[in-house]
Amino acid sequence: MAPGTGQGASAAQLSRRVVFGEAVRRLMLRPESTSLAAVVILFVVFSMLSPGLFPSKLTYISFMSVASELGIVSIGVTLLMIGGHFDLSVGAVLGLASYVCVLLMRDYGVPPILAAPLAVAVGAALGAVNGALVVRFRIHSFVVTLGTMLIWRGVVIALTGGFPVMVPIPPGFKDIMSGPLLGGFKMSLLWFFVIGGVGTFLLTRTRFGNWIQARGQNELAARNLGVPVDRVTIILFMLTSALAAVTGVIQVARFSSVDALRGEGMELQAVAVTVIGGALLSGGYGSVIGTILGSITFGMIQVGLVLAGVPGHFFRTLTGVIVVGAVILNTSVARRMARSKPLGGFRRGSEAADAAIAGIAAAAAAKSSDQSASSDIRRAGPPEEPNR
Amino acid sequence: MTPTLPSPAHAQTSGTQARGGAADLHLHPRKIEPIPRDAVPVIEAVNVSKAFGATTALVDVSLKAYAGRILALLGDNGAGKSTLIKILSGVFPPDRGELRFRGEPVTFRNPAQARQLGIATVFQDLAVCELLSVTRNVVLGREPQMAFGPFKWLDMKRADEMARSALHQLGVRWERRLDERGINISGGERQSLAIARAMFFGSSLLVLDEPTSALAVRQAGRVLDHIVHARNQGQAVILITHNFRHALSVADDLTVLAQGRIAAHFRRDEIELDELTDLVARVS
Repeated sequence: MAPGTGQGASAAQLSRRVVFGEAVRRLMLRPESTSLAAVVILFVVFSMLSPGLFPSKLTYISFMSVASELGIVSIGVTLLMIGGHFDLSVGAVLGLASYVCVLLMRDYGVPPILAAPLAVAVGAALGAVNGALVVRFRIHSFVVTLGTMLIWRGVVIALTGGFPVMVPIPPGFKDIMSGPLLGGFKMSLLWFFVIGGVGTFLLTRTRFGNWIQARGQNELAARNLGVPVDRVTIILFMLTSALAAVTGVIQVARFSSVDALRGEGMELQAVAVTVIGGALLSGGYGSVIGTILGSITFGMIQVGLVLAGVPGHFFRTLTGVIVVGAVILNTSVARRMARSKPLGGFRRGSEAADAAIAGIAAAAAAKSSDQSASSDIRRAGPPEEPNR
Repeated sequence: MTPTLPSPAHAQTSGTQARGGAADLHLHPRKIEPIPRDAVPVIEAVNVSKAFGATTALVDVSLKAYAGRILALLGDNGAGKSTLIKILSGVFPPDRGELRFRGEPVTFRNPAQARQLGIATVFQDLAVCELLSVTRNVVLGREPQMAFGPFKWLDMKRADEMARSALHQLGVRWERRLDERGINISGGERQSLAIARAMFFGSSLLVLDEPTSALAVRQAGRVLDHIVHARNQGQAVILITHNFRHALSVADDLTVLAQGRIAAHFRRDEIELDELTDLVARVS
């Protein structure tokens, strides 16, 4: 949808104020807007709280590391939630897949380059169990995965005996999974962004992504139109658990060990991240990019509170406040905005509006490229909605 | 077809005001061609019965739907209309009796099998996914793809073209709003979208469950125009409705169900609104 220059001429007479308003309206309509705001606000707040410590590269590396590991799990949970399901078992799957990875390397001498994919495959198989139970017995996924969470966690505790299991990790493998990347960031960040990119593409640009959204919005309509709804559900559960296993492998490489409580609590953190990222709890709508921003929010809170000298238990409180705030913003405000009319007499999705916004954004960018306001407009510039 | 019906071309050019009252305009009796003797019904139900536990839903119901004709299925709540169309569209099988598709006996194990034969059912609340765009709704389940090696992705350009021509074919007048989400298009437009989608992907029988029940007068008139258009394109149409006016304004044949049985069957030109109202009130 390239902005047509023809319509741009007629729209150029509209005041910049109206066009800017429309640009802001469109930005607010995107599912990522809340998490983007959370990232920006938290960054500013933490930078003010600990000006010498927070805005430093070491801090960025530190919170992006937290964000990467949680984010990879959350991307799976997000896709699943858009498909209309929950997975509470991701934390336990992460623990069990980690254990499998360690066991294969320590007791069977499997080289890590083989043990890692095997662990991910085990994760996918555990996900298939979840999916099959949900599809076959038509039980709500919340209940099914609550059950499997307890089962897998019990298995991990029994197998480890409650003690950490150590394994020597070859440095090469550690480097690939969690080693230093260019500029000091961890490799897990690269995995996080790659998986995030693939996830976004899958959701917005493939047939499967269309089916995920349709499954979450109107299962019966999708089924009626020939979407293989059950297959979509099972694949989604497998994907979610496989991504949890990927994080498990990254953590094994980082810690050279697995313990009985590995991944505990991550299932709810992933849901929180997904919700901050703009996904609807009722399914059908959400964004992987929002989830990426949501997990960065999480990482920032975790690291920023420590640097600000706030007692650690405030982490949960602040996270809770942000989750509730994000949900309120995402549901009530976004819904009202979605029903609102485009400003300045534009037709919805009209090329004239796109052209006017792009034109003013370009002018503003040219005039003052160093001002932060212009970057906001530019971000709003691309008229295409993520899900189109 | 009959001269009193607006032709598709007329429907596109005429003003909104004229179309608003479209449903009423056709109420005077019109001449309906009799069904040719050698015509084979697209779908035929023969002595179909269905019970749910102790509740009898259908008893020995037979019905035929022909290409290029609209069959209106009338009856009070609980008369068995929904059960009948669910059997026709493969949601569940009948307990007794059989279905014939173009003269051949068929059994549907699921809705997908019925759809493969070109039986497209538009259920009232299941027309669209509310947060998907119009384009994505039209192509849902049949998305065009581009491929590079093993990788496939959506061909959105072709999807837009498909959606545009599907809507254009039906003569709808909002075919340019392809980016609009389902939640932002009206109830009538949703029904029209579902009809356009069914026709575009080659249906031979269009089953519509109360397509006008939740609509304002003008919207209902438009949806009825689209149904007439589908019929004129050679579709067999089964229209379930509570609204006798709507039924009489577009249908060629009318079947009245009462307590799971066929209470009456007419050609459109054999009955008037008053008689029909009396009849349905009497039998149910």
